[in-house]
Amino acid sequence: MADKEKRRSAVIAPGVTEGRGSRSESDREFLSQAGVGELIRGAILKMVEARSDDPIGFLADHFCNLASMTDSGTVGCGSDADQLNNGPLSAGAREQQHLNRALWHLRLAHHSQRSAYSNNVRVAYDLLNLSEPCKHQGLSPEAPNSSNTESPTEGDGEGAEGGGVRGSLYTQTLQCLCSEGGVPASTSAPLLRRLHCHDHEAVPYDVFRHSVLTCAVFSDYIRQAQRLYAGVCCPDEGPASRALCLAVLGTLKEALETSQGCDSNCCDNANAKANPCLEANVKAICYLKASAKISPHKLSQAMSRAQTQGPGGNMDAKEFENAAADLFITRVKVVS
Amino acid sequence: MSGGTAERKMVTCTVKPAIHLQIGEAKSDTAQSGVSVVDVMLPFGKTINIQEITFKNYYTASVTVRLLRKKPGHEAMAKWCTALRNLVLMENPHTEVGSQDYCSISRSKMEVDPDHVTCVRLILRQPSSNWLTFSLDDVQLYPHTEMDPEKEVADWLSDLTLVDQHLDIEGLPDPQMVSSSIQQMWALTQVMQSDQTMASIGRFDVDGSYDIDLISLT
Repeated sequence: MADKEKRRSAVIAPGVTEGRGSRSESDREFLSQAGVGELIRGAILKMVEARSDDPIGFLADHFCNLASMTDSGTVGCGSDADQLNNGPLSAGAREQQHLNRALWHLRLAHHSQRSAYSNNVRVAYDLLNLSEPCKHQGLSPEAPNSSNTESPTEGDGEGAEGGGVRGSLYTQTLQCLCSEGGVPASTSAPLLRRLHCHDHEAVPYDVFRHSVLTCAVFSDYIRQAQRLYAGVCCPDEGPASRALCLAVLGTLKEALETSQGCDSNCCDNANAKANPCLEANVKAICYLKASAKISPHKLSQAMSRAQTQGPGGNMDAKEFENAAADLFITRVKVVS
Repeated sequence: MSGGTAERKMVTCTVKPAIHLQIGEAKSDTAQSGVSVVDVMLPFGKTINIQEITFKNYYTASVTVRLLRKKPGHEAMAKWCTALRNLVLMENPHTEVGSQDYCSISRSKMEVDPDHVTCVRLILRQPSSNWLTFSLDDVQLYPHTEMDPEKEVADWLSDLTLVDQHLDIEGLPDPQMVSSSIQQMWALTQVMQSDQTMASIGRFDVDGSYDIDLISLT
């Protein structure tokens, strides 16, 4: 009985009369051997994580990436000789491909979805790491906190075990992230200078992760600043008054300084304090103090004061954006 | 909340064993009366201002609290006064309801100010004959800590409550919108700052060249 049901669902070519039972059995075997279940499951999980608006496009990209990954998967390992004369792609094009794939992964989840975003950053890092298989260990110093302890004389074919992502790739990644996030190049330039790594340097995972997150957060920040300017100025009346803009940004600066002051206070007492709860309480109070400075009441006070007392003149959107960006960028730690 | 993380400390005191009152002089062993008195003494010479009295009830129907107060000063006489008369602990003395409750009498419930108290007398009443014994367990006194409200409430906190001031906001952008934008920008900056890593790229480390064995002068 069961055989008959299976036969009904399988497509039976005319003339093929024998081995029907084994044919439908081999369908199932074929699927399990090819690992299709795993493939589909992986695709669906990725889709749930990313929740993209274009499911078909997303799935197409996903399988495309997988296909090219399995094609070039053997490139990452192996001896030096194989590196230089493989595949139809040149090293540069391959690198570009890896970069595009890494960026695709980084776009999947918003940085506020912490665990999904961290996973994606890890995948992107591994991808970019793979693209430089023949590193000379002597030229790429390992970060002190890097987890691998390979000696300099070991084989350098294992790209995945290397010291980190190449500086040039890292810089390109950050530039793409900023421009895709809608940040003009002139605004993001100071930020990229702070996060700059030389082309020959190898960037360890922690630095990579932090820089990528900083760029993602920065693009959100600049978009928010643009929206704020649009709200502060009345479009039909031209640019917003300088005093108003300065007052608004001044409240943000005060709040940032208050919360930064707390952080340093907490760190100072690190040795003296015995009670982690106390430290958490102190931090919470600091954050509350900082956020009280940007309450609607405080802002209306600052704005009405600016109306009567502030400097004259106007501030255009670009200047406002630069001033806001400056507040953010001064708090970014320089990579060294 | 106003005391920070300090816990309230109870005052050490001696709770004397209960004395059941009798009418007349004859002491009868067969039945106890329904009134007993528990004295809570403070160490000699010490007075407290009571914030709270807590205890666990054990089948006492009602309690009266009397305080022996001594005004500060050598010539002042200690006086007894009633702080709380017949506080009902068991609504129906014959039934179990409320018979083993944890109770607390706070300063605000007392008729007089429980300051400079040297002795607390609890008069327990249990009119029902259902129960063999009745008492109060684990009597504790908590002192009143002076709080300085001016210092406790920070300026920024009190500012938050000043919502009634109407400012002239004609021609100004909506403060709610501006505040919400600024708050998001602040939060984003905090996200970035809290994620900062101590990792460095090791720019100036060249494979252990700072290792003491390898430093050479050539």
